[in-house]
Amino acid sequence: MRLGIRSAIVCLLLLSGCAHVAPYERGRLAHPTMRMTELAEPAEVHVYSVHEGAAGGTVGASSGCGCN
Amino acid sequence: MWLQLTWRARACVGLSLLATSAAAESPAPAPVVERAALQATTYSDSDHVIVFTPVASGEIDDRQERWNVRGQYLVDTISAASVDIVSTASSHWRETRQAGTLEGSYKPRSVGAKVSGAFSSEPDYLSFAGGALLTWDFADKNETLLLGYSLDHDTIGRAHTPFSVFSHRLWQHDLNVGVTITLSRTAILSLLGDVMVERGDQSKPYRYIPMFDALVARGIERGEAIDSVNAKRLPERPLEQLPLSRERYALTARFGYRLAHATLRADERVYADSWRLFASTSDLRLYLDVSKRTTLGPHFRVHAQNSVYFWRRAYVSNFEANNAWQLPRYRTGDRELGPLVTVGTGFGARVGIGPEREPSAFTLVMQGDLAASDFLDDLYLTSRLAGFVTVGIEGAFE
Repeated sequence: MRLGIRSAIVCLLLLSGCAHVAPYERGRLAHPTMRMTELAEPAEVHVYSVHEGAAGGTVGASSGCGCN
Repeated sequence: MWLQLTWRARACVGLSLLATSAAAESPAPAPVVERAALQATTYSDSDHVIVFTPVASGEIDDRQERWNVRGQYLVDTISAASVDIVSTASSHWRETRQAGTLEGSYKPRSVGAKVSGAFSSEPDYLSFAGGALLTWDFADKNETLLLGYSLDHDTIGRAHTPFSVFSHRLWQHDLNVGVTITLSRTAILSLLGDVMVERGDQSKPYRYIPMFDALVARGIERGEAIDSVNAKRLPERPLEQLPLSRERYALTARFGYRLAHATLRADERVYADSWRLFASTSDLRLYLDVSKRTTLGPHFRVHAQNSVYFWRRAYVSNFEANNAWQLPRYRTGDRELGPLVTVGTGFGARVGIGPEREPSAFTLVMQGDLAASDFLDDLYLTSRLAGFVTVGIEGAFE
């Protein structure tokens, strides 16, 4: 519970500290490489997911690893 | 009025009318954009594993970015004679995996939804997954909240044995919560939290674990060779047994910074789970727009982790008075559950080969990577060097 409150405070501080960027100022942000999704090619993502014991950081459904 | 205009004004008006007429005659842009891509990846490592993976994907986008449908299909052809296979006196092993994903998204205004499904099939492993994701843009689209959930059901069996005769079941729930924040006109930060809950037996039915007498186990060295292990181990060699539940947590921060002709992207993931595995993964990428047609992208990745709490380089088994071996409750030979450090680097290039007015209509994709892993407390192997190369072509059609 205490951790949740602290996380919420950190998030609020982060949000309040951000500059408001108008739509007409977002030309550079619209570049395809500025997407906040996984930018690595699928094969690279797959290789590292098999080589590493950790998981997470990608959203959406995934399935099977072909590594057994 | 017309007669009162100067000749220059008349010319301007005339040209404007011509331009308007031309615009009216030119076809309106198509309401959707279709994209297709073909890629092939070849992977090879110093542990004698070779994988060839062709991937086909397709996508249909609404031009106004309100909806999107995307699918992908791949085939993994795996050929392996790794040390784990050789150590169990098994022969060279070949397998084919097929996998596909299908996802659709819809975002009419500030709230968007995405649903996705995936499958993976190989002779001894079958997996289905489905998920949903909600996003909400607020503060004039300067911030976005994300909430997602996916469910994965795996059936783990043995090749040439029907799943009805032998199989383990594994359920995985994945909950994602995240926020993306526009920091400035050139910078974005994204924070994503994952909670993954796994229930079921994910032990590998081919993975046999060597057992040692307590005194012998102390002398087993990191990277001990197969022949030496076979000479020193006890006669019985049980199958791997992992705990039947696992809770996994990950927190990922992504930072993107756009310069005039380059993008810097830095990702950091910290991870912990109920098997007491802790890990850090850092990923740094640079995308350089060297021309209108060409983007080059070097990248660098470091992953470090400790071992799960039941990890042992040499497991100890005791012979009991009732003529039975007392085995450790949990035991594994999965190298990715042991302590390791992996350093990877690579270089990618995307070259637009479309016509002058739209070079990205067709794009060549090329990428080469090297990943070196150092296994800090393993039998058989102390390191592994892997290399993989991807080539592909993407096309956009209207």
